[in-house]
Amino acid sequence: MRILIAEDLYLLRDGMVRLVEAFGHQVVATASTGPETLDALLRWRPDVSIVDVRMPPSQSDEGLRAALAARREAPGLPILILSQHVDQLYARELLADGAGGIGYFLKESVFDADQFVDALERVAAGGTAMDPAVIAKLLSTGPSRNRLDELTEREREVLALMAEGLSNQAIGKRLFLSESAIGKYTTSMFGKLGITDSESDNRRVLAVLAYLNSPG
Amino acid sequence: MRPVVSWVREACAGSARAGAVAALGLPVPILWAGIAAGIWFLGNPWAWTAPIVLTLVATLLTSRGLCAMFRKLVAQWTGTVIPGGHWEARPVTRMSTGYWWNGYSYSRSNKEAAEDQRLRILWHDPATWRDLRFVPIAALAGLVAAVPFAGFVTAVVGFGVVSPLLGVAGLVVAVGSAPYAWRATPPLTVRFLRPSRAMLLAGRVDELTAQRADTTVAQAAEIRRIERDLHDGAQARLVSLGLALATAEKLMETNPEAAKALMREARAGAASSLTEIRDLVRGINPPVLTERGLVDAVRALALDTPLDVTVSADALPRLDAPIESAVYFGVAELLTNAVKHARAHEARVSIVLDGAVLVVEVEDDGRGGADPGPGGGLDGLRRRLAVFDGSLEVTSPEGGPTRARMAVPCGS
Repeated sequence: MRILIAEDLYLLRDGMVRLVEAFGHQVVATASTGPETLDALLRWRPDVSIVDVRMPPSQSDEGLRAALAARREAPGLPILILSQHVDQLYARELLADGAGGIGYFLKESVFDADQFVDALERVAAGGTAMDPAVIAKLLSTGPSRNRLDELTEREREVLALMAEGLSNQAIGKRLFLSESAIGKYTTSMFGKLGITDSESDNRRVLAVLAYLNSPG
Repeated sequence: MRPVVSWVREACAGSARAGAVAALGLPVPILWAGIAAGIWFLGNPWAWTAPIVLTLVATLLTSRGLCAMFRKLVAQWTGTVIPGGHWEARPVTRMSTGYWWNGYSYSRSNKEAAEDQRLRILWHDPATWRDLRFVPIAALAGLVAAVPFAGFVTAVVGFGVVSPLLGVAGLVVAVGSAPYAWRATPPLTVRFLRPSRAMLLAGRVDELTAQRADTTVAQAAEIRRIERDLHDGAQARLVSLGLALATAEKLMETNPEAAKALMREARAGAASSLTEIRDLVRGINPPVLTERGLVDAVRALALDTPLDVTVSADALPRLDAPIESAVYFGVAELLTNAVKHARAHEARVSIVLDGAVLVVEVEDDGRGGADPGPGGGLDGLRRRLAVFDGSLEVTSPEGGPTRARMAVPCGS
């Protein structure tokens, strides 16, 4: 894959470049400020971009804003946002356009390199990848938390992994269950919650996230 | 001969002062007395309406200036400075609607708003009424001050027309009272013109409000600095450590040499993130300060500063932690300035407990020219000390040396 890395701290930018290169991917460009990031995103249209939220010149959410702006120009441009902290607020803003190709992770998620690169590939393919911390918060404090009481422990586990953006197959692998068993959980879960199932993995994830985010 | 000369001199000076007091204090009351006499002897009070109104206006208009003159004279004669304590005009701002807001009401034009504000402040300010109340007091002071002149006039009349005996009596009164007649004025002025308790408290409230705002701003800035340091420093280093380890794990099979190099880097990274956290902790609250108190913390600071720093200090009891911290960071800032801005080679720090006031002086041999202006580092330090009613004085002529003196009351 052709990858863009936008990160203002040299140490991290360098480490990230070496990590993805160790996995055989190609870094086509790096950026270290908000405007540079927006410029590079639109010029290179990389297969996937890793963008830090906080960047100069203002040291505020420059990276996030560059990502959102780039996706307004080029809908569905795959971007994975990395940050020192994850917030529901930012997750919602990223998912708002419903186009997929979005990831939002804590920086330490790179420690599990295989899973990180896996998520990166998922985002590049137009999928969604959310940090477990975001999903856990969404399940416990989100607007839909009371409606989730009907679910069994296992169904909640499956729902969480699905919201992170995993396919049935990947969820099965994570929980040591067969894909068809996961399919059964999904059907019963969607029945209870009243979510319409969808053929496409990605649209299903977006439906789940929309459900979790919707009040009432 | 000499006592006589000094008596004459004192009498002359006293007469001049008494003359000034009488000339200031008497005119307006004389007008009022004239009106009263007119009504008493000629009757028909209504005929006096116009003079009464005019005199009232004159009284109102002159009272503030009269009080200012009395304050000035007293300050000149006795050195006692009595603050006026009048309210200051507040800024008039233009609202988005185009009207001008002066703190009380809206007006169409800037000028109208300012005039309206001036009148309202005049009316609401307790100092205005205190000044007005002082008019009869000034008359009293004026009457006392007029005694020598009355004696002199009596003497002239006595010698010329009535009898020499009256003349002699008048002369004795005039000469005897001349050096003393003005002396009633300063105590009267101080007693009746000093700011009331309520005004002093209002001033103190303003001061404390400003200090609280300063503290809040300083605190928020400090918290932002710490968050920033952690975010860009220790947190980032730990992430990079994890990154290196993850990459090394991946490379272990394919390129063991590169993996080993990454591990070495990771170890160095762990060490430097520890250093960074240690520095950050020291910037929040130096461990030596907690463990050993101000004097030893300043000694430790002196050792870490790239200057020859001599520290002389009294044995101090442990002070309140916030005061210790403020003074410690004050010294740190002054020493940093000495290195960075003044390019000094040597510095002296002295820490003395003067009664209940902690006095810390920092002196360097640098090139001076420190700017204590608003917004600068020294101004920030002054504000941080002001929170504890402390003060900072800096003398830093161009070419040096710079002397800074921090004084903080510490109630021990």
